[in-house]
Amino acid sequence: MSMRRVPLIVIAALGVLALVVAGCGGGGKAKKGGTVTILDTEGGIDSLDPGYWYYQTDYQEMGQTTQRWLYGWKPDGTTPTPDLATGLPTASNGGKTVTVKIRSGIKYSAPLQSRTVKTADIKYALERCFLPQVGNGYAASYYGDITGVSDFQSGKAKEISGIQAPNDTTLVIQTAKPIGVITSGRALGMPCTIPIPKDYAQKYDKGKTSTYGEHQVFTGPYMVENDGKGNMTGYQPGKKLTLVRNPSWDRATDYRPANFNRIEFKGGFDATVAARKTLTSSNMLSGDYAAPPVAVLKQAVTSRKSQVSISPSGGNRYIALNTKIKPLDNVNVRRAISALVDRTALRQTRGGPTVGVLATHFIPPDIEGFADAGGAKGPGFDFVSSPTANIPLAQQYLKKAGFANGRYSGPPLLTFADSAPPAKETGEAFQSQMAKLGFKLQFRQVPHSTLLSKFCNVPKAAVAICVTLGWGADFFSGQSMIDPLFNGKNIVPTGNVNFAEVNDPKLNAKIDAGKTLTDPAAVAKAWGQLDREVTDQSYFIAWLWDNNVGLESTNANGVKSKFNSGAWDLTYSSLK
Amino acid sequence: MTAGIPELLHDTESGGVPATPLEGAPEFAARSPLQLFWRRLRGDRVALLALAFIVLLVIAAIAAPLIVKLVGARPPNDQATKYLDSFGTPTGPNDHNIFGVDPLGRDVFSRVLYGARVSLEVAIVATALSVALGVTVGMIAGYYRGWVDTLLSRFIDVLLAFPILLLALGLASACSLGNGCLGGTIKPGLTVVIFVIAFVNWTYIARIIRGQVLSLREKEFVEAARSLGASNSRIIFREILPNLVAPIIVYTTLIIPTNVLFEAALSFLGVGVQPPDASWGAMLADATPIFDTAWWYMVFPGTALLLTVLAFNLLGDGLQDALNPRAGKS
Repeated sequence: MSMRRVPLIVIAALGVLALVVAGCGGGGKAKKGGTVTILDTEGGIDSLDPGYWYYQTDYQEMGQTTQRWLYGWKPDGTTPTPDLATGLPTASNGGKTVTVKIRSGIKYSAPLQSRTVKTADIKYALERCFLPQVGNGYAASYYGDITGVSDFQSGKAKEISGIQAPNDTTLVIQTAKPIGVITSGRALGMPCTIPIPKDYAQKYDKGKTSTYGEHQVFTGPYMVENDGKGNMTGYQPGKKLTLVRNPSWDRATDYRPANFNRIEFKGGFDATVAARKTLTSSNMLSGDYAAPPVAVLKQAVTSRKSQVSISPSGGNRYIALNTKIKPLDNVNVRRAISALVDRTALRQTRGGPTVGVLATHFIPPDIEGFADAGGAKGPGFDFVSSPTANIPLAQQYLKKAGFANGRYSGPPLLTFADSAPPAKETGEAFQSQMAKLGFKLQFRQVPHSTLLSKFCNVPKAAVAICVTLGWGADFFSGQSMIDPLFNGKNIVPTGNVNFAEVNDPKLNAKIDAGKTLTDPAAVAKAWGQLDREVTDQSYFIAWLWDNNVGLESTNANGVKSKFNSGAWDLTYSSLK
Repeated sequence: MTAGIPELLHDTESGGVPATPLEGAPEFAARSPLQLFWRRLRGDRVALLALAFIVLLVIAAIAAPLIVKLVGARPPNDQATKYLDSFGTPTGPNDHNIFGVDPLGRDVFSRVLYGARVSLEVAIVATALSVALGVTVGMIAGYYRGWVDTLLSRFIDVLLAFPILLLALGLASACSLGNGCLGGTIKPGLTVVIFVIAFVNWTYIARIIRGQVLSLREKEFVEAARSLGASNSRIIFREILPNLVAPIIVYTTLIIPTNVLFEAALSFLGVGVQPPDASWGAMLADATPIFDTAWWYMVFPGTALLLTVLAFNLLGDGLQDALNPRAGKS
């Protein structure tokens, strides 16, 4: 869910949501049946492989709809709900042994319709998340401390010794030290726990990239339309994805109502066209954009309020400053930039107060550690306190950094920003704000995917400032906001998300210590405190805790998933 | 048009009176070609109007900072969120911003005015470069003929066969990342645009000049010069070049609007002028998705672009008629 294209909770749909949740399984008042259509601006899912799924669109379109995880997430739930599991994990041996029991009798879709899910399938699913062929983005971070992972990764062992299936319904996980996100079951509420039968899948997990995704078997309420032999006829990359009901799914064993009969995703639409069409036609929900273009947003909020659903996304938007590039290695220059940035003006480029709350620190509302980091008021540092630019303060910090007249007078800074609206406008607003104190930028605008893959996530590219970044939490965890971005151990040559290239041994040690905490209050306090520290260092300028703005046709009743940044939970949404 | 020009301008060389009296001219006074040209142009009201517009535009572009101050508008890069509504959408023309504001709260009037600077800069520099290159190559090819001509002409053919917009897009985007291309000699932004436009546009001029030179080099005055022992460079620059002034002027005025549009197209596609500099093309690109809520953001830069291109085209036509009246009648 990191590196979001989009993020959002439900204000309009809250009443309905409460009903549905209360009616758990029964479905409340929601109408059953019908087909819903969703128009995407990009190509929809990134991959068919459950081991790869990590982003909002992957979760919304396939993760939640076609598969059952060890633990799932109800629309407004902030703690995991047992799905394949029968209850929360039990920890023993001082938190180093975690045991999970699963339901028996859950069946796979064709061609394995006669097989039931066993814990050995989950063991293999976790193991294959470490295979290079799968390209998983979070296994090392959450499961890396499981006993035997390094032997498995180096090829010394064929299996991970710390994951055992003593019988068909018991899964035991051993870790070298207690890992908070495992003992609480939260990191087991991720797609790596989607069961995958080893003997069936192993033949596809070879070569450069696994092809299991194209032949996968489904456990969820829906499946990709297929020919019954494991070939996905309902999927054309970037163009369409069609989900139909999975005959192997037994409603009695699941907590989700799964109202629709059929779900169709269509890719490649212009955002304005897609948003307008969703508002004016029937049977539609908005697609893979966090918020519609500003003009459509304004029209929708002013004249079609009942069709707009706004909710916090559990993510932020931030500008990253590379501490390896002079003069950004100087904390006072970074603080000066933070004081110079007009957060209100930046928010105006995305649609004003409707799209979110001005950020004062890194961890967004609803995420563990938010209150401990200072809540909405923030940690109180002067350089993040003003909602608009505080130029005199910025000048003071520049003087402290050695710029005698309070203006920057060095070489231009290589800066990257998005080339498509609305992030394009955000970048240009930042550029002009920086010019006020003499910061010259070598300003480059590129598509967001290029921005990440070629520049901002590549330390060798020596980008000084990356303007249009965002980060969302996994399973409401403060760790997922802090560890990947500020732990020096996570600096890698490509795909690097520690953009600031922060590598402070003291900070690394504190982050590592935070990961072993299991008491929820202590966990929140630790991440909140670390948020204060990184905010004080101004490694970034967080300027928005943004909302997800969903649009629905007049006859559609979208229900949002808090876990998935406020994207629709299609197993709870329905037609009216 | 080609046939008439040399004869008309030979008079410069021979110093004589025009061979044919001008129709409608009341007297047969001796007039220099310049006088003739001016008399004809003076009668063309449309061309004069276009010329006046262009002169005004040039003055406005040069004096942009002064005009902005006089009108009381804000500088082109000054953002003011107070002119945006609560959704961040821009507000239209009012007392403070006579052309309204853009999505960043910048004054559209100032930006249109400063955009004229960019357009004219590109128009003049890129056109001058392509004309200089085109004339040189065209004269060499036409004068020396033989293998030199074959080589240059085939090269021009190859360039003409290139999908120009795609080539320009490719070049511009290749040079728009990092520190530019060719070892940093071509920096992203205006330089790229100028280079790209000059690179793709010189071929037309070269072809036309080559054709002219091919016929000129067989004329008596050239043969006379040659028989007097004049060197090749003297013949090219002193005998032939002055006779090319008319087509060069006409084509230059006709290429300028093409180049203005080309710059706008490149900026529209995001590979031209870099922010925060104002460019009409970039403004139109930004205005497209919000046209139904912020018409002023498209209408004013669009009108400016339209009028400028129209003025250069009309002036070009007028100049052509004035320099080469026979072509107009045929």
